[in-house]
Amino acid sequence: MKRSKTAALLLMSTAPLLLTACDSESPAREGLYTSVEACVAQTNDSNTCQQAFAKAKTDAAANAPRFANREACEASYGKEQCAERSDGANHSFFGPLMTGFFLSQMMRNGSPMSGFNSAPAFRDSNGGWQRPATSGAGGVYRGGATAMVPINATPNRAVTVSRSGFGRFGSSRGFGS
Amino acid sequence: MRRVALAERHDWRAKAAECGFGFHTIDDAPYWDESAYYAFSLRGIEDDLEAPSEELHAMALDMVERIVGSEQHMQQLAIPEPYRDWIAQSWRERQPHLYGRMDFAYDGRGPAKLYELNYDTPTSLFEAAFFQWQWLEDQLARGQLPAGSDQFNSIQESLVEAFGTLARGIARPFHFAAVRDSTEDQGTVAYLRDCALQAGIECGVLPIEDIGISADGRFTDLDDRVIGCLFKLYPLEDMFRESFGAYLPRSGLQLIEPPWKALLSNKGILPLLWDAHRGHPNLLPAEFDGGGELPRGWVRKPLHSREGANIAMHLDDGRELRTDGPYRDGPCIRQACHPLTSFDGHYPLVGSWVVGDRACGIGIREDSSLVTQDSARFVPHAIVEEARGVLIA
Repeated sequence: MKRSKTAALLLMSTAPLLLTACDSESPAREGLYTSVEACVAQTNDSNTCQQAFAKAKTDAAANAPRFANREACEASYGKEQCAERSDGANHSFFGPLMTGFFLSQMMRNGSPMSGFNSAPAFRDSNGGWQRPATSGAGGVYRGGATAMVPINATPNRAVTVSRSGFGRFGSSRGFGS
Repeated sequence: MRRVALAERHDWRAKAAECGFGFHTIDDAPYWDESAYYAFSLRGIEDDLEAPSEELHAMALDMVERIVGSEQHMQQLAIPEPYRDWIAQSWRERQPHLYGRMDFAYDGRGPAKLYELNYDTPTSLFEAAFFQWQWLEDQLARGQLPAGSDQFNSIQESLVEAFGTLARGIARPFHFAAVRDSTEDQGTVAYLRDCALQAGIECGVLPIEDIGISADGRFTDLDDRVIGCLFKLYPLEDMFRESFGAYLPRSGLQLIEPPWKALLSNKGILPLLWDAHRGHPNLLPAEFDGGGELPRGWVRKPLHSREGANIAMHLDDGRELRTDGPYRDGPCIRQACHPLTSFDGHYPLVGSWVVGDRACGIGIREDSSLVTQDSARFVPHAIVEEARGVLIA
């Protein structure tokens, strides 16, 4: 046979479609967000974003890297990116400010399954993003007590200064050929 | 190869609406036309179209290797200087590509002749890969086609498979972009995105006009996320001359189709291929155009013309045909004139799809003129079994 055995559409079709999952492992949706709003804009799931943010905030207090003084912290995380903290037993130290949070959800058939993982994210002075290692994971970076791992699949963010720099040659018929 | 009249499916418009095929009629003129189909023999498909497509594809990729090593060739193809190293680098890194379409003059009675490669922004994809497939299945189910009829069309399967292969090599976030107001191009990227999703790749879509730039020269989406990989249904050569173009080489943005495709979507590839493979049965003689009068038996095409625009044709019998369009300036090539064959007054052009590196299907555009333009209708095809020992050629 010289033709496709089957041809179905997921999103384009208005007809209901039953998809048999061909994937043994569910793909995960992962995102790094600098605000709850950014998270909602991406996931359309305000509840999860707020919970993930709150959990990350709590974790940040407990798991952020600790430094004995501000200079050491700023050397790793940049000027004015560190704050003095206390562990509640009158031990004070310095740690980076949480600059974002990481959210990971398992997906099934294109929709997130219930439950999520979240973690605080910190931006180091080189512009890279890190989060605390989950226990047992080998960290590549050790600042203070907590091992940090880089966030690789970073939906990196940058402030847009201009748009509409492409598309000037658009026509009603478009540009396919 | 025959043109066979066949009644339309009474409900095809409803089916088109159901699957989001919004551009079956363009400016009140029919674009999808199933009042007839082209019947091929399996042998004609395999020997005359499939095998030559794969061979020409391999020849074209070999030619990329030669071009990136030659300033002279880059010059002949009018590649702007600031982009040459970037293009060459993208080839050395073998940045992945997805698809392309070769256009052939073919009538079943001799070797298919390559008119051009559409290797950067090929369209008519959805109608070839999906709607044509559905037409065949429906007409088979209704007994309107000879039993056992088939189609050279595993395009969708090949697309999903190719996306699956690409998945690991695609930087995220991954977006599809096309011109905002083009129904046809938006439909094409919606379809490609559908195929990517079926391969398990998460991806978004945005109008190409909405792409932003950051202060440090990275491309952003509407959420200010830095775009990792962009599928752009928009000509590379146009991006080069737009205000954001200069940022491309250092932006870190991955493109699909990748920069090296600018060498193949360029009609300058045709004289280079002819030089390297003079006399190849599927190639037409071609040369770079030095200007001056166009002799009989030659066609002049701008390096970057799309949709049959700005073509000049001087037929053997002295007739001259000329199409208008936006590509008036700039270098051209000449190609030996090999007019399309008339089938009941219609001139079919065979688009042969290569996905990944595999020839996987065809779509036929039919015009009432010798130059296939954006007015050409899409007509489905079928592979019909050779009946009663009579060979359908």
